[in-house]
Amino acid sequence: MPITPMEVYKLLPKTNCKKCGEQTCMAFAFKVINREKQIEECTPLFQEEKYTRQKEKLLELLEPLKEATETGLIVDEEKCTGCANCIVVCPVHASEDPYGSGSGFGPKMEDPIYRLEDGVLRIINVKKCRRYGKNRILCVACRENCPSDAISFLEG
Amino acid sequence: MHVCAGCSCLCDDIEVEIRDGSVSKVYNACRRGAGIFLNTGSSRAEPKIDGDNADFEKAVKGAQEIIQSSDSLVIYGLDTVTLEAQELAIKLAEKKEAYIDDNSTFCLGDFVEMILRKDIPSTTLEEVKNNAYVIFYWGTDPYHSLSRHLSRYTYYPRGGKRQRGYEEDRFLVVLDVRKTHTAKLAKKNARFLKVDSDEEVMRGFIDALEGRSPKVFQKDIPRILKEMEKGGFNVIFGGLGLKYGLKGDYSILKEMIRKMNERSEVYFIPAGCHPNMRGFNELLFEKTGYVNKYSFKDQTSSDEFAFHRLLEDGKVDAALIIGSDPLNSLPLQYARKLADINTVVVDPRETFTGKIAKVVLPSSIAGIEGGGTMIGADGTRIRLKPVFEREINDEYVLKRLLEVI
Amino acid sequence: MPLEFSRFLKKVSVEVVVGRWSFQVEAMDRGKFSDEFTEKSAVLYLNEEFGKSNGFREGDIVRLTSGNKSVNLKVLFSDIAPENGAFMPNSIYTSYLTDFSSFKRFRATIEPSNDRITKPEEIMQKVLSMD
Repeated sequence: MPITPMEVYKLLPKTNCKKCGEQTCMAFAFKVINREKQIEECTPLFQEEKYTRQKEKLLELLEPLKEATETGLIVDEEKCTGCANCIVVCPVHASEDPYGSGSGFGPKMEDPIYRLEDGVLRIINVKKCRRYGKNRILCVACRENCPSDAISFLEG
Repeated sequence: MHVCAGCSCLCDDIEVEIRDGSVSKVYNACRRGAGIFLNTGSSRAEPKIDGDNADFEKAVKGAQEIIQSSDSLVIYGLDTVTLEAQELAIKLAEKKEAYIDDNSTFCLGDFVEMILRKDIPSTTLEEVKNNAYVIFYWGTDPYHSLSRHLSRYTYYPRGGKRQRGYEEDRFLVVLDVRKTHTAKLAKKNARFLKVDSDEEVMRGFIDALEGRSPKVFQKDIPRILKEMEKGGFNVIFGGLGLKYGLKGDYSILKEMIRKMNERSEVYFIPAGCHPNMRGFNELLFEKTGYVNKYSFKDQTSSDEFAFHRLLEDGKVDAALIIGSDPLNSLPLQYARKLADINTVVVDPRETFTGKIAKVVLPSSIAGIEGGGTMIGADGTRIRLKPVFEREINDEYVLKRLLEVI
Repeated sequence: MPLEFSRFLKKVSVEVVVGRWSFQVEAMDRGKFSDEFTEKSAVLYLNEEFGKSNGFREGDIVRLTSGNKSVNLKVLFSDIAPENGAFMPNSIYTSYLTDFSSFKRFRATIEPSNDRITKPEEIMQKVLSMD
């Protein structure tokens, strides 16, 4: 299930103290979800006792972040039938591997983002994903074409 | 690269890794397909006589005796075995003046027959990938039955004239009684029509084509027809839901396709699961002019010669079941009668029918342990490229059974 | 002892749609006599809203009856089930309950059951002892 910045913000101290280096708690919340900031960088949350309950709730909320890749992608293999829709619709695959995955076949490129292994979707090289890195695009082509919700992104 | 003989897609881009003599890793196959490779060693059939383990040679002898002494034999199944094995089974049926039938009688044999008789125009998946614009899935949920159908062959891949991807270059129409996983894919540039009566929807298309307002889906039907004209090349994949929805009367389907073709090209391809069902239909058609439920004694095909009818009417004293498990797939009130006659099962895996058979003969898994040819649902012939070779396969068993006739 | 509200629930009449289910087919290749086959085949998929409004919870065991034939199945919720009906993967369970006239869609009743899930072997026993 995706986590929204608002959910994170609600559990932060909301003092805009800037100790984390961000101007506002909201900005910090965004960066936490995008994994550009660690929740531990909000020092008041961890040092001041009055935030203990909020901190615990927040850590629980952010638990899925650990499973997700650097692009916020989570694949639930249990739900995947290996239809490969995601592999074929991926714009990166289509442009870098037009005669392989772009044409419906198993990927022929060196290190594709995705590949079917043992009948289910495996993430091979998330660095190629358009959601990766500084100039990322919040592309959702793969998730949009997964009818069994095997693919999700933390940010929604 | 290997071919997956799990369903009628016959995907030919499967790669495997082998460790200690078995498949340890499978690439590019769907869940179902990969499972067949990875579970090669699971639940394998053992030779059996009257439910007890037996020596293979003794079991062969038992099967030979049953077939030799039968006065009225039916051979059934055959949709998961190669053309080469099917040919031997047809030869055996001919020599024994037996009945022969396959799953297509209650599956999509009617559609294949209409195509072979040229009652409806059909095309190949390659042509679909390169040309098709409006793609119908009618009464079928390929996400589960033919998992890579949309990604490898129809809606998603770029090919030929369709280079811009599904969002611009395809139009998806899914018709079903429920919102299937495939139906959920019908988003932008697509329609999902929740169908109660297939006939009513077909009547709607015909009405719209004849300039009348359709009684159902008043907005969707004219839009889809407009898209079809724009695309010029369109295809309907019909599944079991469509077959059973029409209750055996295909006149309206034929009329609709004929009328649609007056405006733009429309082809029909069966969306069936069995990997080589079409192969059996084509072989029998070439030989007899019929696709299934055939009696070599009567030299004709008839509903009376359908496998379940033969069992119900007590017309057969022995059944040779090859690569099929009627106790799993046929209404049990018919299939249970296999316990009362001399049933021989030839299958690579343990089956429910095997439990009630007089003789069980193990076989090999087509595409993994045995080569040969199959014909996909679109009529394309594909050579299997097995990972291993196993001496005892369907062809070998059938040759042994033919020895005594 | 907790109150078993399910006991007071009435029978619900539904239309069951039969179709392929990738996960069930996968289990079939692992082995038709495996627990996994039963687990993936002896399932009645209900739409969550419909299931809950009729008092069923996920994991409940229900008795599904069509004509004079019944099997015990596990209820699971899925949005692919018909809105006011049920979905079942095709297997020996649906083969037992259907005839060709009702092969892909059949009418049945659902009621709570305190029994365990029916095994394929039990279905085989039942049909083989029929007259």
